[in-house]
Amino acid sequence: MLTVFLQQILNGLVLGSNYALMALGLTMIFGILEIINFAHGEIYMIGAFTALYFTTFLGVPFLLAIPISMVGAALLGLMIQRVVFRPIIGKPMINGMLLSFGLSVFLMNLSILLFKADPRSLESGYAHANVQFFGLQITLERLIAIIVAVIFVSFLYLFIQWTKVGRAMRAVAEDREAAQAVGVNIARIHLLTFAIGCALAASAGSVTGAIFFVSPIMGWAPAIKSFVVVILGGFGNITGAILASFILGISESLGSGYISYAYKDAYAFVILLLAFLLKPEGLLGGSK
Amino acid sequence: MKRLYRFFSFSILIIFLILLPQLSTKDYYIHMLVMAGIYSILAQSLGLIIGFTGQVSLCHAAFYGIGAYISALLALNFGLSFWITFWFGGIGAGVVAYLFGCLVLRLKGHFLAITTALFGIMVTLILDNWTELTKGPMGLPGIPNPSPVQLLGVKLQFVSRTEYYYLILVFVLLTALIIYRIIHSRIGRAMIAIRENEEVAQSVGINTMRFKLAAFSIGSGFAGIAGSFYAHYILFISPISFTLPESINILVMMIFGGMQTLLGPIVGAVTLTFLPEFLRMTGALRLTLYGLALMLLIIFLPSGIVGGIKEKWVSFREKS
Repeated sequence: MLTVFLQQILNGLVLGSNYALMALGLTMIFGILEIINFAHGEIYMIGAFTALYFTTFLGVPFLLAIPISMVGAALLGLMIQRVVFRPIIGKPMINGMLLSFGLSVFLMNLSILLFKADPRSLESGYAHANVQFFGLQITLERLIAIIVAVIFVSFLYLFIQWTKVGRAMRAVAEDREAAQAVGVNIARIHLLTFAIGCALAASAGSVTGAIFFVSPIMGWAPAIKSFVVVILGGFGNITGAILASFILGISESLGSGYISYAYKDAYAFVILLLAFLLKPEGLLGGSK
Repeated sequence: MKRLYRFFSFSILIIFLILLPQLSTKDYYIHMLVMAGIYSILAQSLGLIIGFTGQVSLCHAAFYGIGAYISALLALNFGLSFWITFWFGGIGAGVVAYLFGCLVLRLKGHFLAITTALFGIMVTLILDNWTELTKGPMGLPGIPNPSPVQLLGVKLQFVSRTEYYYLILVFVLLTALIIYRIIHSRIGRAMIAIRENEEVAQSVGINTMRFKLAAFSIGSGFAGIAGSFYAHYILFISPISFTLPESINILVMMIFGGMQTLLGPIVGAVTLTFLPEFLRMTGALRLTLYGLALMLLIIFLPSGIVGGIKEKWVSFREKS
């Protein structure tokens, strides 16, 4: 009984680390560029496909394919930010939202044309290796998902808190004009933020693609969940987003295990409604 | 003089709209006209919420679906006719919007947008999974046509698409009239004040929450009526017609036409109902091109066709 419960918690942690990697990028892009990026799920999907192609066709080991897909996604992110989003920075938010939705539709359907719609499996080579501890077991693949999340999330956290560029990013999030006035290169910070966000999404995509499957429509559901995470954590709040990811992952896992699997995608919304009723200013209080 | 001119142009427009289905006898063309009418109601009512009150709602298709499901279920289970069910569809959607609005309308900007988007997804999930009531993804077939009515000596039976066209035309004009009346009343001025600056509106004594709720529930109520019409027109509904992409589609129609105008959403709805039909020629590329067109539209024409023309006109007049 307890083992089953702990096993569910463990699955929740895997889900949570996936959401954390996605939501961090989203919340940064929101905080710094003030754009709700509906296309984030498509970057995640493209990251997964990059990893798939490198492992299957070029025989690159899976652990190396993750950084490769991250670099690819970062380059793509630079291009997207430069070509698509730059013209509408500072315009009403509904424009940015529709723009990213158009981008999402475009990327998703282009991928359906290029890669075909049917799901494929990404062979990481770790799917059958089990790790056992305290009577619980987890495949090495899922363990990698958690480890990857822990590494990148802590790296990002340190980067933002302790480096000069990180400080500039925080300054832009706080007040764009004031940051510009003291000599921060806004355009460069925007590019960097977008690239980092995309790289994180690609890492989540390749790791999760290995656990489940890879398909052009795989990005939609996790993107929606990470929106919930971003709201729960308080928009633009990184610590809040990390906390909220794991809360959501664990409650989804427990909910689909103990209540009903059919509604597994609805728990996110129930939690969100509860949060609005009980703690409307976001998980970590009124900090903005 | 100006009044006479207005009356004249309005009459010509009405005569044109009445003659429109006679231009072609192709059934498909009239079907597109009816769909354009449904989308006009949806885009106009969304215009009341977003364009005039400034509250971004991404769940319009959910209320459209709620209206459709309420009237379909009433018609199928209790044998009620469309003339009764559409009231329930509209009021039902309005009530749900009111309750949901009480909870979320204090949110602003992005927060509100995402929360309403999630609400839309939640509604589709319920429609998909509450199989005892909604039959899930299988949908509800066999919804009856509106029962025949005698009107000015003409018997409307609702067997041909042309009769549906005239019915939706009446609905569209009534919606436009009601929204026009709202916008040009004290309520409408309060709504516009909220859009322009909520804090200032509050400081001059406008109960902003009340007007936001009013706009949200009235707009969503109209979406419910559109849904009801859709159910009794297509005679089959399933959750796939009421998903988030559909909400965005309505939003794009509204923006494409010009959201802070009365006529804009209708222009947008009609254009964007017919445009994808031309894109159909491109086959598998259709949705990819749709995404691309959407991006180009937002970058190059951010205030829509009617809005853009209006801006050009104003700057032209100021110059001369």
